Amino acid sequence: MELIIENVTKVYRGNVIALRDFALALGPGVLGLLGPNGAGKSTLMRILATITRPTRGRVVWNGTDIARKPDALRRVLGYLPQDFGIYPNLTAIEFLDYLAAVKGLDARSARKRIDELLALVNLTDRARRPLGGYSGGMRQRIGIAQALLNDPKLLIVDEPTAGLDPEERVRFRNLLSELSGERIVILSTHIVSDVEAVASEITLIAQGQLVTHGRPETLLSGVAGKVWEVVVPSAELSAVRQKHVVSSTTHRSDGVHARVLADAKPTPTARSLEPTLEDAYLATLGASRGMAVSGAAV
Amino acid sequence: MSSPRAVFALALGDFRERSRRYSFLVTLLLASYLGYLAATGKVSLRLGEYRGLYTSAWVGAMMSLITTSFLSLIGFYIVKNAVQCDRQTGVGEILASAPLSRTFYVVGKFISNLALLASIVGVIALSAVAMQLLAAEDRVIHLWALLSPFLLLSLPAMALTAALAILFETVQWLRGGFGNVAWFFLWALGLSLPRTSGIPQCDPFGLQTVFHSIMPAARASIPGYEGGFSLTFANTPIQVFRGFHWDGITWTSAEFSLRIIWFALALALVLLSAAFFDRFDPARSQSPWPSKQEVAAKVAAEILSPSYTAETATGARIHLTPLTHALHGSPCGRIFIAELRLAVKGLRWWWYAVAAGLIVAQCFAPLNVSRGLLTAAWIWPILIWSTAGTREVRFGTQQLLFSCPGILGRQLPAAWLAGVTITFLLGAGVALRLAMSGQATALLAWTAGALFVPSLALASGVWTGTSRFFEGLYTALWYVGPLNRVPGLDFTGAASGARTARFAWMYLVIAAGLLAAAFARRARQLRGI
Repeated sequence: MELIIENVTKVYRGNVIALRDFALALGPGVLGLLGPNGAGKSTLMRILATITRPTRGRVVWNGTDIARKPDALRRVLGYLPQDFGIYPNLTAIEFLDYLAAVKGLDARSARKRIDELLALVNLTDRARRPLGGYSGGMRQRIGIAQALLNDPKLLIVDEPTAGLDPEERVRFRNLLSELSGERIVILSTHIVSDVEAVASEITLIAQGQLVTHGRPETLLSGVAGKVWEVVVPSAELSAVRQKHVVSSTTHRSDGVHARVLADAKPTPTARSLEPTLEDAYLATLGASRGMAVSGAAV
Repeated sequence: MSSPRAVFALALGDFRERSRRYSFLVTLLLASYLGYLAATGKVSLRLGEYRGLYTSAWVGAMMSLITTSFLSLIGFYIVKNAVQCDRQTGVGEILASAPLSRTFYVVGKFISNLALLASIVGVIALSAVAMQLLAAEDRVIHLWALLSPFLLLSLPAMALTAALAILFETVQWLRGGFGNVAWFFLWALGLSLPRTSGIPQCDPFGLQTVFHSIMPAARASIPGYEGGFSLTFANTPIQVFRGFHWDGITWTSAEFSLRIIWFALALALVLLSAAFFDRFDPARSQSPWPSKQEVAAKVAAEILSPSYTAETATGARIHLTPLTHALHGSPCGRIFIAELRLAVKGLRWWWYAVAAGLIVAQCFAPLNVSRGLLTAAWIWPILIWSTAGTREVRFGTQQLLFSCPGILGRQLPAAWLAGVTITFLLGAGVALRLAMSGQATALLAWTAGALFVPSLALASGVWTGTSRFFEGLYTALWYVGPLNRVPGLDFTGAASGARTARFAWMYLVIAAGLLAAAFARRARQLRGI
């Protein structure tokens, strides 16, 4: 099972370049796709989900170019878009049954699968209510259920935990981990902790280009020894921000505890900290924008 | 922000947003085409067998009447989305949280509607100038004679149209497809109002103003003229009466005041709209009889209470059964049933009761009455047909559906077949009667009509992404064709007489063309172009 993205470029009207020579090869596992707003994540998701075609380059699923033969991928694709709608007059069961039919499931398998999925997303008790009355989180869970209808080999989820409460978020993360064994899961999100919890590989994208791709440990090792805690008075915080990348701050009685990314010890009293994925993300992103970890402009 | 500035900003923003859409550009091009049709004599103002020279007065009156009569019909469908846009995009809720009164909101939207329609009027007025120069029957441009009918006839009519569009959007039961159908009949009523009411002043489109101005000049200068006055779409020969002299409408204070009154009525309708406007508050838009969705929302609110969540959210681990050979069984029938269910979902019991009544009545009434009932039966499901091909856009499910396999080969045909099934069922009584009486040609015509309607709906839906286009077009076609029994336009075949078979084949070909157009467009959408 292999998904290869070969130098994909997507140019929208007005010569807006959303993706530029993006290349990646994926095997089974969860890929966390991280990037700032407007980085090109959703465009990449749409290309992989056969919703739109690349302007240049190609995406190959198990040897088949998906732009030429999209159904080869669509048969085994589960896709949860960032923004999607529902038919408000249909119940959850009717809506999932409709999509199951469209995806090619026979009636018996569909019914069994729908029951299981509704239980999985904790909506069994609401399954016979029209979707028009569902809350945002409940609709999102219906979106997750529909993506899993056809037991997909490639599961693409774009901001899947948006609108979910903390408990449902944890359930969904666990589900992704369990599903990842024999399939490719692509998780696009802004929430670094979601990626941290489930991703076996991470891809960082910015300004339509691949910034880095690797295992979480590799990314973390890149910032090892470069994360510091600096305690400064509130008034001096902006000066620290001007010099360094600050990933978080906490106000305490002795001043502001700032989590600072820097190649060398930023102040004599600074304390070294264990890096998190968020630190690695900010450091890598800063570097891609031409900012050294120390914060000085290149 | 002061209120006048807020109204202006709202109107300007809305105008910019809607005028920058591709569909508006198409509308402007169509307006120019209307000018071309008039210039080439395909649309003309006739005095019996004659027309006047293309002077500024004649061209101005003719073009403004064309604009007023037809743009008021089509323009309504063009602008009836000002509030809907804000509702769909979520901008409405942001505006509702701002210190902007309901009255100022609807006034801003009205100004935007009027500006959009006025810009179309402007394009037609420019094409009128070009038309006079190109026709070269009279090269002298009298600006007031040419443009005053646009200013004093067309613009008040556009104001009325713009205001009614706002009113229809704010009144909950007129907001959807029913309102789109109702507008056609209201427009037709407006055209005939001076005649039916017997009061010449009840003339929102200004037809009587032009008529009463031209008549004396026509009687004085055309020998044997008996008073014919019409605006026609025809290519029939028409003579230019060179001796006819008319300086244009004399705008007396009474005429001027009458046009101002129509404009004032438009403003009054806008203010009335403010009373109905729900300010994007779902609670205010509830009818006394809650819909299924509203009941569901209430239930959802109950089940989202903390106690309920605490009891059920800690479910045990769920096992998903792997799918092995479940895919690609025989899903075509399943998709068809799913599409059919989707099409009729949400209909109330009385819809089915009327449909059943129409079918049963067709079976037992005399055949000529039965064919009349078919006319009624084939307007009844208009709001079902009009959703074909538009649901994906309306409910935002394109990405879910377009990433599934076989959309073009299975889902779209299933959606079309669902429409065909509904059409067949609603007209089944007549089909049965025709089959039993051995009227094969009439049955062929019935079949052609039954295939034509859902094909038109699907093509309209897939190409425009909105149900309004089909609702407006089909209502007009149904009114002219089956209801008024115009041969060739009566797609049920009842009025075709000796040419029944010919027209039946014509509608079959058109249906096939429309279906092909729907598939071509959807294929393009699936390619993400």
